[in-house]
Amino acid sequence: MSQKTAFRIFIIGTLASGVLFLALTWDTHRQVETLSHADKLSPQVIAGKRTFEKYNCNDCHTILGFGGYYAPDMTRVVQRVGEEGIRFRVKNPERAFADSWRKMPQQHVSDAEVENLIAFFTWVGNINNGDWPPQDSKKRMTRGEEIAVAAGGLSPGAAVFQNRGCMNCHSLHGKGGTFGPPLDTVGRRLDLERIEHYIRNPKSINPNAKMPPQKDLSEKELEEVTKFLAGLK
Amino acid sequence: MLYQSQKIAHWYFRIALLLFGLQVIMGLWLAFNYTFTVPQSIVDKFPFATARAMHTNLLVLWMLLGFMGGAYYIVPEETGTEIFSPKLAWIQLIVLVVTGVVALIGFIFGWTQGRPLLEIPRPLDIVVVIGALIFLFNVGMTMFKAKRWTAIQGNLLGGLTFLAILYLFGIPFYQNEVIDWYYWWWVIHLWVEGAWELVTASIIAFILLRLTGVERHVLEKWLYVELGLFLFTGITGTGHHYYWIGAPKYWLWFGGVFSALEPLPILLMVIDTLDHVKKRKTKIINPFTWTLLIGGAVFHFIGAGVWGFAHTFPQVNYYTHGSQVTVSHGHLAFFGAYALLNITVFYFAIPKLKGIDRYNPTLGTIGFWTTTSAMFLMGLTFGISGVVQSYIERVVGLGYMTAQDYLRTWMGVTFFLGLIFFAGVLIIIYDLFFIRPAEEEVL
Repeated sequence: MSQKTAFRIFIIGTLASGVLFLALTWDTHRQVETLSHADKLSPQVIAGKRTFEKYNCNDCHTILGFGGYYAPDMTRVVQRVGEEGIRFRVKNPERAFADSWRKMPQQHVSDAEVENLIAFFTWVGNINNGDWPPQDSKKRMTRGEEIAVAAGGLSPGAAVFQNRGCMNCHSLHGKGGTFGPPLDTVGRRLDLERIEHYIRNPKSINPNAKMPPQKDLSEKELEEVTKFLAGLK
Repeated sequence: MLYQSQKIAHWYFRIALLLFGLQVIMGLWLAFNYTFTVPQSIVDKFPFATARAMHTNLLVLWMLLGFMGGAYYIVPEETGTEIFSPKLAWIQLIVLVVTGVVALIGFIFGWTQGRPLLEIPRPLDIVVVIGALIFLFNVGMTMFKAKRWTAIQGNLLGGLTFLAILYLFGIPFYQNEVIDWYYWWWVIHLWVEGAWELVTASIIAFILLRLTGVERHVLEKWLYVELGLFLFTGITGTGHHYYWIGAPKYWLWFGGVFSALEPLPILLMVIDTLDHVKKRKTKIINPFTWTLLIGGAVFHFIGAGVWGFAHTFPQVNYYTHGSQVTVSHGHLAFFGAYALLNITVFYFAIPKLKGIDRYNPTLGTIGFWTTTSAMFLMGLTFGISGVVQSYIERVVGLGYMTAQDYLRTWMGVTFFLGLIFFAGVLIIIYDLFFIRPAEEEVL
């Protein structure tokens, strides 16, 4: 191979890849409008993005999988812990993570900023991004539940309880979150039917409930988790 | 050393070395945070995020100073003239170091752009750009006035210009998070798998040329083939970061296929380096330079090539994306490809700048084997953590902190390995600051 051939490889390789990349960039810009629902980028969402950057959240948390790996991913945080869950954690990290061996800093985020953050996370949560992350995927969660049932010897309802993020707020035997009440004896307080209504629409049973309605659960999951909770006496 | 103005490089190297030490100290603190409970009162004042911003920005700063110092060392010899303006080179060094120090202190007080790796606030970005422009002007003018163009200096200047242009894409505020990450990778990916590879390959070619006596046209031929492959696979390979950000689905194909080819140019570089060493026409004066050069090439291939390949396919990446697997790859790749390259340049140039022909390699050898072994093992412990995390959090679907519980031990081991790594780094820094000529009887 002569030096001329080598130089040609260099020029052709670079140009081919460069031109392809720029063309795809142009098309990506076009498609991201729809994929990300860019029409819903309200001033509040953009303000939320600025808040997210102001407190350097992204150097502990990941979002769309990028950032620090020190704290949970924020892509589907609204679906996972609900708006009230976000408010509580951002405003009172020292209480929310009192029992955790890993802490979150108290940054004195204002109420308005928290609302902006929630708007931002809600927008990000609706980006059509190939169903990532898997742990928050609606399609795949049942697989995790199946594994828990098969390998962990759990009842299907207990598997739903563990895998659907209930324990982000609630606890059983002292394990789990502190934001919602412990559910060790919830079966004494509420019967099967009320638990089912509570999960679907908390405010229908308790007008002061802070828990978000669990719209993501399938009928089967709701039935199983209700049976499980009603049995906790 | 042939030219007076090459001396500037010495200060670039020294400051880079000190920043390297500081970077590792911040890294130790991060690993400590993963292993032990840091009380709320400390977390409130000095959160993990701040330490991470310092760790990564120190990395970028010391490596860029290393590259720039390397360029100031190489360009006079390639062009056969003095640097256009040594004074500008000094001003540039001061501008960049002051900016770096202000940025690091600013992070502690929350002055940040708030985007990972690009935390330097926007007003300071402008200063960085000015520093880069001074550098490109100075190096460009040196080449222009000398009117002597070689492939090595051309690609070096091309890589550094490409590097500076890409930095601009990291400065604006993007309203759309998807577009934000799209261009964020233009800086990060196209740096490390594009511009930096250009700089690295040119520097390695220069060192090989000086050490082996292999004809320039043979070296430059391989340089072009490598760079062609690097850019062909690397540019469109950026797509492996676009799988899950809300970009079109075709990126799964383009990213997967192109980035799967990315190890090829690195492998070529390893083979090519070994080949040139075998066919060398001059006597080896400092065998340690070879240890570094070949060690670097092999580590580059393992860290960037093999580890990158391991999680580049979308089917795998769906589970490993944004986990400790990425951390493992990041550490092995940056150390293997760029930290070792810089150390190689330091060991090549610093003795010459001090007028030492043959230096005593004992401390350097200890430092090399300590750092490379510790870093390789860290790659494994980070990697185990990542696989465990991916399985528990992403496959089984348990909570984030439940998964982190299982990693704690492995991150503890990483912290311990980090201490060993730090010891090796201290040895290298000390050795390069106080390097001594070899005693004659050692011959």
